[in-house]
Parts: sequence; C-alpha cells; structure tokens
Amino acid sequence: MQAFHPHILAIEDDPVLGLHLKTSLERAGFAITVAADGDSGLTLAQRTAYDLILLDVMLPGIDGMELLRRLRRQHATPVLMMSAQGDEGHRIAGFDGGADDYLPKPFSTHELQVRIAAILRRVAYERERDCVVPPAANDDLLAFDEPAMRVRCGDCWLSVTPTEFRLLQVLYEQMNEVLTKAFLYQQVLRRGYARHDRVLDMHISNLRRKLTQAGIHNLRLESVWGQGYLLSWLR
Amino acid sequence: MPGQRSLFWPLVILVAGFCLSLISATHYLSARIDRYLSFLPDRALSTLQGYAAEAAQALAEGPDALERWRRQRIEVSPELLVLVDEDRRPLAGQALTERQRRMLGFVRDYDGLMSRRGDGRPTIRVPLPDQSHYLVLRLPEALAPWGQRALLNLLLLYVVPGLLAVLFCVLLYWLLISPLEHLRRQANAMRADPLQSLLPASLARRRDELGELGRSLEFLTLRLRQSVAQQRQLMRDLSHELRTPLSRLGVAAETELPLPELRNRLEREVGNMRELVDSTLELAWLDSVPGRLDCDAVDVNALWDVLREDALFESGWQPERIVAALPQGCQVLGNLNALAQALENVLRNAIRHSPPQGRVFFSAEQADGCWTLCLADQGPGVAEADLQVIFRPFARLNKARPDGDGFGLGLAIAQRQINLQQGHIWAENGEPGLRVCIQLQAV
Repeated sequence: MQAFHPHILAIEDDPVLGLHLKTSLERAGFAITVAADGDSGLTLAQRTAYDLILLDVMLPGIDGMELLRRLRRQHATPVLMMSAQGDEGHRIAGFDGGADDYLPKPFSTHELQVRIAAILRRVAYERERDCVVPPAANDDLLAFDEPAMRVRCGDCWLSVTPTEFRLLQVLYEQMNEVLTKAFLYQQVLRRGYARHDRVLDMHISNLRRKLTQAGIHNLRLESVWGQGYLLSWLR
Repeated sequence: MPGQRSLFWPLVILVAGFCLSLISATHYLSARIDRYLSFLPDRALSTLQGYAAEAAQALAEGPDALERWRRQRIEVSPELLVLVDEDRRPLAGQALTERQRRMLGFVRDYDGLMSRRGDGRPTIRVPLPDQSHYLVLRLPEALAPWGQRALLNLLLLYVVPGLLAVLFCVLLYWLLISPLEHLRRQANAMRADPLQSLLPASLARRRDELGELGRSLEFLTLRLRQSVAQQRQLMRDLSHELRTPLSRLGVAAETELPLPELRNRLEREVGNMRELVDSTLELAWLDSVPGRLDCDAVDVNALWDVLREDALFESGWQPERIVAALPQGCQVLGNLNALAQALENVLRNAIRHSPPQGRVFFSAEQADGCWTLCLADQGPGVAEADLQVIFRPFARLNKARPDGDGFGLGLAIAQRQINLQQGHIWAENGEPGLRVCIQLQAV
C-alpha cells in the first residue's frame, strides 16, 4: 500500500518528540515535515496538500483544537490528534472538531504507525471505491444484499445490523488479512479507536454468534491478539 | 410547617413573650403609677398636719387669733381656708362666700384618694390634733402628687420598653448569633488547618436548624479531611509505585547488559510506568467526573465472550478454566465501555488470585428489576475486614509481592465505573475464594 511515500505534516512543539517522529516515520517510509507551532503549521497545512496531519493539542500560538477548526473550513486532510491530556472530554471534543483519530501521549512508535496506516488505508480505500466498482464478491463465498441488510453464505442467510454488514464486508474484502482495530474503527465505525473502547469487539462477538447460529462453521472470524481481526475460510 | 425541633418555636416564644411582657409591664406599671399619684406623699401629709396644728393652736387662743392665722396663711389656699366641725359647719367667726359654702359640699380626707376632676385641685380636710375639728382647704398646687406624672410617663413609655428590648436582644443573640459565632470560629479553624476539628458539644446537641448546620459543617470537615488524607495517600502510593520501576531502570543502566536485553527491560519498565500513570489518571478522572455516564442496554453475554477471549489470551489459561452460567437475554442498563472495563478488571483480579488450575466462574441472577453479576474465584479470598479495603486505590493486601502485575487500581477503577452507572459493586467471601458482585438495573 505504500508504493508512494505519503507526505505527513507533524505539528508538534516538543523538539525531542518532533525529531523522534521525523526519524521514526521517515524510516517507515513516510515523508515528514515538522512545524513547531500552530501558526506555521496552519500555514503549511493550507498551502500544501498533505496525506495526513499529526496535530498536538497543546501548542504555542493557535492551539490544536482551534487549528483543526480553521483547517476544516476548507480542507478535508485527515488529522490525527495527539495529547498528553488523556481525558475523555478532550477526546470527544477532538472528534467533534473533525479529527479522524486521537492518540493519547505517551504512545509507542508502533501504535502511531498502526493509527497512521489505518487512516491512510481508509482514505485509499474510499478513493478506490469512488473510482472502480468493487468486483462482485470473490468466488461468491458470501453474497451481500445491502437493501435487505443480509448476507448469504452457501444456502444460509444471515440477518445483520448495518454496522455488522459493513464490518463483514470490509473483513471479507480483505480476507485472510489481519485488519487492525484502528483501521476497522476508521473504516466501519468511522471514528478513532480508544483504549477501552469495546464497541467493535461487541459487534465482532455478535457477528460470531450469528455465524454460529446460522451453522456457518467454515467462515472463521478470529482475533489476533494485540493486532486486530482476521476473516478466513476453512476448507 | 417547621419541625418540632425547629428554631421557629423558640423564636415564636421569644417574640410573643416580648410582646406580652411589654404589654403586661406597661399595664401593671401604669396602674401602679396611677395609684401612686392618687395619694398625697408623706411630705405633703406632714405639711398639712403642720397647718392643722397651727390652726388648732390659733383656735385655742380664740377667734381673733384664728382670724389672724387665716389671713396669715391665706396664700396656702386663697379660695378656701376654714375650720369646720364634724358636721362640716364652719366654726364661728369665719365668714364664707356662697362659693366657698358649695365647696364644703365636696370634701375629701387628706389621706384618701385624690383626683384631678373639676378645675383641678380637690378640696380636702385635715383633722386637727383634737380630732373633733377639721381644717378644710383646697390642695395647694405645690403639694399635689401629679407633678411627677410626666417623669413617670417617660419611664413607662420609653425606659421600660427599652430595657425589655435589650433583654430580648440578649436572648435573641444567645439563641441565634452565638452558635453562628461558634460555626464561624470552626470555619476559621478549618481555614488554618483543614484537619482540625470540631463542633462544640453544646452545638452538636442542638436539634434545630443551627444544630443541623453545625453537623453539616462537621460532615463537610470530615469529608474534606478524609479526601485530603486520601489524596495524600494516593500521592504517597503513586510515588512509591513509581520508585520500583525507576530503581530497576537505574540498576539496568548501571549493569553492563547486552543492548537487546537492556532495550527489553527498558520497554517493560516504561510499559509498567505508562500503565500505572494511565490508571492513576483514569482514577483521577473518574473521581472528578460529575453525575453519571450515558447508559444503554448492554448484552452481558456478548460482553462476556469478548472479555473471556481477551482474558484467555492474556493469561494463557485453558478455556475450561473460565466458565460462565449466563441466562439468555441477560441485558443490563450500563455504559458498554465502562462496564467492560470494570468487569475486565474484576476478571483479571480473579485470575491473578487463582491457585494453579483454579477456575473462575461467572454467573448472573435477576431479582427485583436488577441483574447481579457475580465473578467467583477459588483463591484464598480476603479477610472479612478487608472486603471493602480492596476497592481502595493501591490497596494491595499482599505487600510482599511488589512484583505482581497490577498496582491495586483495578478494583478501585471498577468501583468508580460501576457507581457512575448507578450500580453497586461489592465483594464477599465464597466457599472458598472471593466473589465480586456487580448489581445493575435490568433492561
């Protein structure tokens, strides 16, 4: 997926963390520009088309929330917010202001890359969907009937909720591939993933129960602990 | 309607008492003053007796002497100054006008009741020392008792009510203000040192509003004191908990470890510290969040599947060691994420304290519109006295095991999460092991 080098703007006033972001993300194949305060960050964000913006909430000059609000007037660039104030209130305010995800500090580089990948992948996915009609489900293990909100597997019909429908669809289109929770949140629930969020897990659990009840045993919805979920087909 | 113990009643008694006592004092005193002013004072009586004695002497000396004396004393009572016998007949030698004769018709005894009727001064008779004759005259203005009336009225109308009002105020002050003064002093003392108390016994015993206020303030003081103590304890515990990974890091930095192992340790300890700080922040946030969380129907079966799967991954236990007996359709009113976190913490705690090959058992029972979710382990349980202690932050009963995973925050967080969903969480000793129960409203 990273055939191109996504260009990321990091707006972060801590020089140590800024440098760390730059080196670690460059190593992971991203092009990084770092802005040390809100004003220059906003100017850069408005002038250049970035693939993603990493935005610290506490900034000198315009703070992160305000910056996001101004940016959203004209640009839909995906924004991942970072903050050391890991309380619920900030998280919610961040999402309402149009942030795509929120990562409380401190975070590991790995976690950051997972989140970035999730957002970029969602954007890429949406772009593809806009251009090409997705191929009719590969070799017809599953057939999706969107108007009726049901899925056919062999002879069994599965009635699902809209969220479960989307979840199954996303998992099915990337069959045999581990999808991170961050990506599934982006893609299915259209919001960021927070540590104690169990909504996705509940949907997975419900979906599994429905599969079992429908007698579909070949389709396995597995958890890959610490990573995400995987849909696979057992023969 | 104010309660039986209310301050209303003493106030009613006080105010009514003030009014009534003012009225009765005025009434009584004015009667006394009237009576006092109706009799001639002793000084006037003796002056009059002096006149009588002079008249008796003049009478004894003969009519001329009497006439001389009358003329001499005419200024005492210009209208009438005459000696009469017992039948009020003027003694011989005294010429009387018609008006003076009429005046003889209304004569009072000089030591009897006086009144100011008529043109003011009454006509009085004073017995001569021989008791058979009387000196009759009009009461001289100088001897009249009502000269003091203005002064006495002043006393009655201003001084007495004034004094009563002062008394009333003293009582009111004693009843209302002095307890407030106590409270103020207590509040000031609290400002100086929040840990110092407290209510004077006299105020604590009161059953009225001021007593209640005092007790509320006392409660507030206690809560404040408790909370300050808790904060201090939390601070101490947190610093203490941070020291363990820090000192390990210090040791790791000093020893010549190969780089991968050093990195490994570094990551582990940083992870520990992050976990600790996250949990503490979470706890602080839960303590400060007002009110309650948004609640929805939560499917406990689905939630349990999720939590169980995670717990199995995390602990590496065999699936048959974590079992549940959940009725179908067990739905509670709760906040999914908060309930999940609470249950997860309780489950982790149960796993942590299970003996080798011990099992963890989850069950749910419905009664009175509530679901009670119980998680039982087969561990050692805790002492009866510690059943509530385990919900305190950093309450690790086994201090000898500082290396254990977890910092004693799990159950504290669980308790706050459950409370924010209008639920209850408690622990009890099972047979054997510990049972942690969560009660939430059924849907």
